[in-house]
Amino acid sequence: MNIFFYYLKIWSMMAKNSLLNWSVNRNVLLIFLLGKIIRYVSYFGFLYFLVKGTNGFLGYSQNQVLFFTATYVFIDTVAQFFFRNVYSFRPMVISGDFDLVLVKPFNALFRVLMGGPDPIDLITIPPIIFVVFWLGSLLHPTPFQIFSYIILLLNGLLIASAFHIFVLGFGIITLEVDHTVMVYRDLTSMGRFPVDIYKQPLQWILTFIVPVGIMVTVPARAFEGFIGPLEIFLFILIGVILLFLSLRFWNFALRKYTSASS
Amino acid sequence: MQILIFFFLWDAVFSGGAKQLFGYDKARIFTYAFTLIIVRAVVLSSRSVDIAGQIANGELTNLLLKPINYFSYWITRDFSSKFLNILFGVVEATILVLILKPNIFLQPNPIYVVSFLISLLIAMFLFFSLLMLTNFIPFWVPELSWGAQFLVVVIVAEFLSGAFFPLDVFPASVYQILRFTPFPYLVFIPIKIYLGNFSLSLVFQSLAIGIIWSLILWKIVNYVWGKGLLVYEGVGR
Repeated sequence: MNIFFYYLKIWSMMAKNSLLNWSVNRNVLLIFLLGKIIRYVSYFGFLYFLVKGTNGFLGYSQNQVLFFTATYVFIDTVAQFFFRNVYSFRPMVISGDFDLVLVKPFNALFRVLMGGPDPIDLITIPPIIFVVFWLGSLLHPTPFQIFSYIILLLNGLLIASAFHIFVLGFGIITLEVDHTVMVYRDLTSMGRFPVDIYKQPLQWILTFIVPVGIMVTVPARAFEGFIGPLEIFLFILIGVILLFLSLRFWNFALRKYTSASS
Repeated sequence: MQILIFFFLWDAVFSGGAKQLFGYDKARIFTYAFTLIIVRAVVLSSRSVDIAGQIANGELTNLLLKPINYFSYWITRDFSSKFLNILFGVVEATILVLILKPNIFLQPNPIYVVSFLISLLIAMFLFFSLLMLTNFIPFWVPELSWGAQFLVVVIVAEFLSGAFFPLDVFPASVYQILRFTPFPYLVFIPIKIYLGNFSLSLVFQSLAIGIIWSLILWKIVNYVWGKGLLVYEGVGR
């Protein structure tokens, strides 16, 4: 428990620093915030009119489709909020500044993974939670469905963490982070809609090989009552295994760090 | 990935048995997706995004000292970038057509094809002007070099140009407003012209509006460039 509070305190300090950094450039913060708002409004607007004009698709009703997308937006935004620092990891490795992280008395992975939460997402997360809550209430879930949804949302965030740890590991070995993150974002964006829209074998790949489906589609399906307890256990197991593998990979990558340029 | 999402989403939408939705049949919406690959490569690829950084860190000075026209320099770099992107786009589209085997609509009317090519030229020029304007912001606010581009290039051009979804999914009133902004002329209108969804009079009207926007934006670009140079201090050099 002490360790938890120790890291919570460090995270709060890093979050405060990140917020102070952004507050110096208020114009930039406003521009990015405006951009995100335009993106969300256009995106939900498009989906709303699409499903309104077609009365849903693949057996999903209008509200179900919108709920899928809201769940995707929520997981994506929360992951970006916590893991924004991954985007600035490359310069740290190239310049050798990563040495300064390694010598500090706390976990280096924690520092590079969660070292700079994005305050813009902090502003956008509450309205997204409201949209998820509102759209969810229109689907009249049972308490078990709500419970499964929350558990699988957390599992989705676990998978997102694993993806970001893999990206960091690749960053040390290949010095490439930006494009790997782009690949990750492109892949997860395929979860904007239920993975059922994709044909086989793509659907299978998106569920089990690159588990975007488990990360995004599965929680929403559980909320709609399509997932049983055994499947929930299986999906959580996949999430835990993925996180375990990503941590092993990080440790392997760390041994390849040469501290060049420092 | 975006094209795959676009393709499979509309495939799912049409799987309900509808013959036509939002003015598109299945062949035309798939053609929209594949034309999108080429149009994005031709219009939305650009090296001019580097200008803002050059202004912010003072590297612009190096170029100003050289005996070359600044705009011609960037247009040349843009064309070389577009050429590469078109090559990749054609390869990508070919592979996806071979894998997905969609019904593709081939425009038989040469007037529409020629108008489509003209609309692409207008779109390239419009995007170049929009990028220039956005990239000149650091003359006054150096820290906005990436933020302004994010707003204009990543968000506005992506969503309001039709690069993410056909704009006629929106109610007619929204589209009628967007029609009088430069954004639909980047992607949506060239593709609609190719698909033959417009009458010939509407095609010519659209080309005329696109040209008018090009002229207006070019005037503004030159004006802002002149004003920007007056305040440029080459900080960092």
